[in-house]
Amino acid sequence: MFAFLPYHRVRTINVTQGATNMKIMLQIGLLFGICLVGESISVFLPIPFPGAVISMIILFLLLFFRVIQVDHIRQKADFLLKNMAFFLIPAGVGILSVIDTLRNNILPLICIVILTTILTFGATAWTVQLVIALQDKISLAGRKKGEKNE
Amino acid sequence: MSEVFASPFFGIFLSIFAYEIGILINQKVKSAFTSPLLISVVLCMAVVSICKIPLASYNVGGNLISIFLGPATAVLALSVYSQLSLLKKYLLPVLIGTIVGSCVSVGSAYLLCKAFHLDYTLTQSMLTKSVTTPFALAISANIGGIPSIAVAAVVMTGILGAVFAPLLIRLFRVKNSIAIGVAIGTCSHAGGTSKAIEIGETEGAMSGIAIGLAGLVTVILSVFM
Repeated sequence: MFAFLPYHRVRTINVTQGATNMKIMLQIGLLFGICLVGESISVFLPIPFPGAVISMIILFLLLFFRVIQVDHIRQKADFLLKNMAFFLIPAGVGILSVIDTLRNNILPLICIVILTTILTFGATAWTVQLVIALQDKISLAGRKKGEKNE
Repeated sequence: MSEVFASPFFGIFLSIFAYEIGILINQKVKSAFTSPLLISVVLCMAVVSICKIPLASYNVGGNLISIFLGPATAVLALSVYSQLSLLKKYLLPVLIGTIVGSCVSVGSAYLLCKAFHLDYTLTQSMLTKSVTTPFALAISANIGGIPSIAVAAVVMTGILGAVFAPLLIRLFRVKNSIAIGVAIGTCSHAGGTSKAIEIGETEGAMSGIAIGLAGLVTVILSVFM
């Protein structure tokens, strides 16, 4: 919202970028429009499913079916992705609002958060690596079998 | 004076200023603990508490920043799209990984809460700690948790993921980019994903996919909570 102003100036000067490079205001409009649709769908779904994730699926489908091109939203997307940590700051500061309720249990809670995060990371990473290894082995065996049959 | 703090510019200015300080410190001292996110959150908390500024005043500006989390999550679709061939090939590992990971997250949170003798509502608020905020809000309300505490647990986990992801990768000796991305997204949703994007495009894309999948798996698991 703030940092696009200098970008905007740079881009309007640099006309050689070509027609595919949509103006930053249009990029923002397009993206926020998609988010609005995502949020609306989320309201009507029977199960809890965040609008942001639905918007991600919509944007993916639009790209997949070539309704829009990556260049249409690249600058805005880069800005958002590069600053993702910044957008999380207010959520972090919001912890202050429950700090009084948590005061008695703050140490166990921090321990639980740390331990479960470590366990979940390890379990997920090793599962993915294991399944990838198995999958590669099976496809390799399949290929060898195919070669023998020939 | 309170009118000044209630201006949206206060929250925005404080956050940007704190973030810039965080980046500066991170450039001087390269360590997981000097993560710009962690430093800026602690700085903002310190300013708000020491100056006795109501959290609601900070949030006038803070909410304007939080709005951008939705679009930031949505544009992960770009990373997913550019990693499409990889995702097609490794869809099964990604799926199984998030399912196992989400089960471990919910299961370990439950067992640890029991081990620490936490009461029922607190336990129910902790079970959704590894999914992104909107998921956690909806699920925790359904299973008898306190939404505000559930959000606090989610945010703590996210910051933790962003700070410790590089250490965890070394700890578990994970070499595969897909495994790294899925693991970061499954254990620490958007918070960890902000770090995954920095590590690499594959990691960022996989982490983004894992946010949605882990949330979905946890919604299904919540039937048993």
